[in-house]
Amino acid sequence: MSIEAINEQLLRAIGVGVALVDLETLSLRFKNDTFVEWFGEEDPAAKLGDLFPALDIEALTIAINDGGRHTTEASFKLRRRTMTVAMEFNRAINASEKIVVLVCQNITRIKELESMIDSYSMMVERNTLEIKREKEQVEKLLLNMMPRAAYEEYKSSGIVAPRVFDPVSVLTLNFVGFDDLLNEHDPGVMVSELNDIYSAFDRIGEQFGCERIRTNGDSYIAVSGVPDPMADHAFAVANAAVRFLRYLGQRNASHPIKWEARIGIATGSVIGSVVGVQKYIYDVFGPAVTKALELRGFAAPMTITADETTVELLDGRFEINASEPALHDEENPQQILSLSERKEPALKSQI
Amino acid sequence: MEQTLFEKYGGFSAISRIVLSLYDRFLDDDDIGPFFDDVELPKLIDHQTKFISAIMGGPATFSDTHIERAHVHLVITDLHFDKLKELVDETLTEFSIAAEDIEIVLAAFEERRPLIVRTVNVD
Repeated sequence: MSIEAINEQLLRAIGVGVALVDLETLSLRFKNDTFVEWFGEEDPAAKLGDLFPALDIEALTIAINDGGRHTTEASFKLRRRTMTVAMEFNRAINASEKIVVLVCQNITRIKELESMIDSYSMMVERNTLEIKREKEQVEKLLLNMMPRAAYEEYKSSGIVAPRVFDPVSVLTLNFVGFDDLLNEHDPGVMVSELNDIYSAFDRIGEQFGCERIRTNGDSYIAVSGVPDPMADHAFAVANAAVRFLRYLGQRNASHPIKWEARIGIATGSVIGSVVGVQKYIYDVFGPAVTKALELRGFAAPMTITADETTVELLDGRFEINASEPALHDEENPQQILSLSERKEPALKSQI
Repeated sequence: MEQTLFEKYGGFSAISRIVLSLYDRFLDDDDIGPFFDDVELPKLIDHQTKFISAIMGGPATFSDTHIERAHVHLVITDLHFDKLKELVDETLTEFSIAAEDIEIVLAAFEERRPLIVRTVNVD
């Protein structure tokens, strides 16, 4: 077999579609086996434009005349599969005739893979978005349960180490005749009323620098100085306390259900920590909380009682009256003091 | 968390080969192939990728309503469905998926038979 014959056989058997195109007539002079397999040979006289209807013949002619080369892609159906080929036209070195060599590489698999990656990345993106959304929900929930600083610590180390905060001021509040109110009204109404009131307390507290620790039914507890130190923590809770009462007074004037609160405020130390393993919650407890709860018990409806330490820190910025009886702590007897807004206009403006 | 088949067999890089092989088999099959005659390539690949990912526990979810809607215009009989399961079985075996895992995948297919197969009216 001659070299030419071997070459031709190779050219025919190669897995790339090869054809020779006469640029004058756009007819195909030679087609190898692969080319025929892909584009058929039912009509031997079929021209380039018949085989590739989407091919821009004008662009091809210009490109060949300019640089002797043109590339493009074409898709076609082979049985029921969509095939894609990368077409490369190169001018043959033949002075007398305008012949171009057309080489078609099968890039169907690449196209299929591209489609698959597109599809997959869309799925992954959607999933990532969902995960992000869920993460934000979880973060929001956790931030409801603990201060941001504790949450950050929990996120980085998986635990929140217990910490002592000293001194801080604690405000505790509950409602007079809560059980009676519960019996008299629909549970839905009560929950919505409490939501309303506690949300207002949260807003007022935030304004003055104290944060709600927890509520338990009608018991509302807030603290100033946890987890970030607060210079004037006693002033913050006293301010919040008088405004809680002012808010309730205004609310009662226009609402059918009257809420009367008792408030106790105290200063001392507390421990802040996440408590629980399965159902964990950030809790703040300790002497100041206990004392504030105790003082609350001595408060008359719509009044505030405070301990001596708090009152000393307030330094005359509130109206203080001695109230009795004294706390039943024999070792360390303390005066219970009643706290209210100062009436003098000059001092009131400082609050 | 329990490992999904998708993770067990190497995630997307491995699953993509299964998808392409299954795609070839579906297209070449004279019973099932014709259903894909007029489907655009990206749409078909998208469908297959999501489908295989979903049944192997990958990052895709296919609701039953979605499956039903995608097949409602096709007259698919039990024979077609059986053939499809056969091709899936063949492909997964070729990719050395454990027999018990193939069972899981085929069971997931079987569960959806009523959504896909149309009872042909023989009157």
